[in-house]
Amino acid sequence: MRARMPDAVRDSSADPDARREAAEHRFAAEQERVRRAISVATPFISVAIAVLVGSLVILAAGKDPVAAFSAMFRGSFGGVRQIGETLLRATPLVFTGLAVAYGFRSGLFNIGAEGQLFMGGMAAAWVGVMVAGLPWAVSVPVILVAAGLAGAAWAFLPALMKARIGAHEVITTMMFSYIGRYLVSWIIAGPFKDKGAIPQTPMLPGTSQLPRLSDVFTFIEPNRAHLGIVLGVIAAFVVWWILKYTVLGFEARAVGFNPTAAQTGGISVAATTVKSLCISGTLAGLAGAVEVMGVHHRLFDQFSSGFGFTGIAVALLAKNNPIGVIAAAVLFGALSAGAGTMQLDADVSQKVISIIQGVIIFLVGAEMIVTWAVGRLRDRKGGDDAAQ
Amino acid sequence: MKSKWSRSLALLLALALIASLSVGCAAPQEPAPQEPAEEKPTTDVKAAMVTDVGGLGDKSFNDMSYAGLQRAESELGVQIEVLESKEPTDYESNINQLANAGFNPIFAVGFLMTDTVIKVAPQFPDVNFGGIDIFFENPTPNVLGLLFKEQEAGYLAGVVAGKLTAMPDVDPRINDKKVVGFVGGMEIPPVQKFEAGFIAGVKSVLPDAEVKSVYTGTFTDQQKGIEAGKSLIEGGADIIFAAAGATGNGTAKACKDNKALFIGVDADQYETIEGIGDTIITSAIKRVDNAVFLTVKDAVDGKLKAGENRVFGLAEDGVGLAPYHDWETKMPADVKAAVDKAIADIKAGTVTVPESK
Repeated sequence: MRARMPDAVRDSSADPDARREAAEHRFAAEQERVRRAISVATPFISVAIAVLVGSLVILAAGKDPVAAFSAMFRGSFGGVRQIGETLLRATPLVFTGLAVAYGFRSGLFNIGAEGQLFMGGMAAAWVGVMVAGLPWAVSVPVILVAAGLAGAAWAFLPALMKARIGAHEVITTMMFSYIGRYLVSWIIAGPFKDKGAIPQTPMLPGTSQLPRLSDVFTFIEPNRAHLGIVLGVIAAFVVWWILKYTVLGFEARAVGFNPTAAQTGGISVAATTVKSLCISGTLAGLAGAVEVMGVHHRLFDQFSSGFGFTGIAVALLAKNNPIGVIAAAVLFGALSAGAGTMQLDADVSQKVISIIQGVIIFLVGAEMIVTWAVGRLRDRKGGDDAAQ
Repeated sequence: MKSKWSRSLALLLALALIASLSVGCAAPQEPAPQEPAEEKPTTDVKAAMVTDVGGLGDKSFNDMSYAGLQRAESELGVQIEVLESKEPTDYESNINQLANAGFNPIFAVGFLMTDTVIKVAPQFPDVNFGGIDIFFENPTPNVLGLLFKEQEAGYLAGVVAGKLTAMPDVDPRINDKKVVGFVGGMEIPPVQKFEAGFIAGVKSVLPDAEVKSVYTGTFTDQQKGIEAGKSLIEGGADIIFAAAGATGNGTAKACKDNKALFIGVDADQYETIEGIGDTIITSAIKRVDNAVFLTVKDAVDGKLKAGENRVFGLAEDGVGLAPYHDWETKMPADVKAAVDKAIADIKAGTVTVPESK
């Protein structure tokens, strides 16, 4: 019997209601299982397809994909220095990925994380210089708090506009992103410009910097990964905990799942929207701070290569799961870290990496296609089973 | 049968996708290094460069530096390599990788890499680092700043503009107001030097001319270049010199749309701005390729001297004026003569172009 098909069940009107309900229940449970399995599998399938497409491109260019990807792997995981590079590049993406993921969980698309990141970076560059002279253990937390607040502040107005008059956050956060981006651009070329010709802020004092892991733990070979990645992992677990165990997180998820139901259930959608977008902004602001404090030690116009936007891809690939964000960020970090070695050793243009990233983003974004394809495969299999 | 049909459609789509990907992506691959027919001189010098985030294909410094390397490859037989930077984080790792792989000298393209070169250079005392557009305040023995006398190229552009703006008969786009314009990107020394030279050049041939300057604060936003160009044209300017990177391409468009004339910068922009035609008169070029080539040549000859900042001017063939292209025939001989005289005067040292206004 094809009990999965409710139509078939409904057709046999002689069946008692109880049997029908049981069948529908089984059907729903089965569907949920399939949906989850697909949901877990999609990121892996997407990455696999992306690597395949990348290989085809490399082949089309007359190069050896195996050599290219093994060079890439060497460049991203082949040694302590290389792993350090991967983690270095994953660090800002963990934060922006968390920022976007938290927004998504609350039903908000924070597309303007880039602007919040710039404001966080600006705050870090400014406060970092202001607190010169304070001990490291004081100045670093102060800078991080300032950067988080700056990011939250930059998300607050769009959040308020959404809560009060329903202005869509995709438009407002994006527009605020431009404002922030250019405001920072002006500040570093104008009022807060370092002496000298280059438009950039003054160098942070050592006590305002995030040290490299290999400087703290001297038994590790020298590499460029810095304390920011540890903060990122902590942040991921904090976000996971908030979402799972706190009222704040429950409300966020409830509003994200069904705002009308949440409102009926006594949750203020407006307040939750504001809180969620501000938390998202805080995380994006921290992304800017760790880049300034850990990598460049100052702020300049191009310090972010669109981490806020890559964060969207990271969040999508991670299915908005905070712990998954770490893995997705490391994957994107590894792609970026291995690109140079791939070009150097296998003579394959780094642009292949951009193609792979693009395909991943496309496939994850177009999960419905994969869902559809897998669903069809299952249907066919189901049909075959029934035929036997 | 429906499923069969959709299966073949899916296959077809997949093939089309792959085909379009391979066509679309094979093209931008860097051209394979040309193997010269005759045996080339051998040297064990391996020269490399790291692009800034603009990457190859910017039709400006990165491409020109690479052209210099390619010339060194074919003429001197050096092995070359280029690593592109996608984000500022890449600067240090790219330079590190090249240094570890035995490349020497290594060029860092663009002042954005100043910090990185200063930081990395001491870790590789045996490797020489050339910094395009980088001024080293306290150069360590293995860094070499490669700078340009932008003011001299700007001066030549100014001579052309100053001469032409007083000749309304030559072209209908030239008015009788004797106003020319300058569009700058960020207010950083190379741009300011272009501007200073341009003003000096204009005044040298037309003392009562007016030069109106606009700084856009960006090297990338073309829209701002368009707006700056429009406002200058509305203010009476008929010839505009833009030293503003891609922003200047917007200015070129504004000139084309509003019937004004344009002077390009850095590279020969007649070649790099699509469909610019006779809107562009010439370009004030920085021969980054020459600076790179000459530095590699010094390395091959074993006489590369780092630990200083080297400035390439007209005399060193480090800056110059691009060909007139579509203007070649209608350019009055008087203008060409004035340019030649300016070049001779600067080279002879009888004219010194100011670096600042």
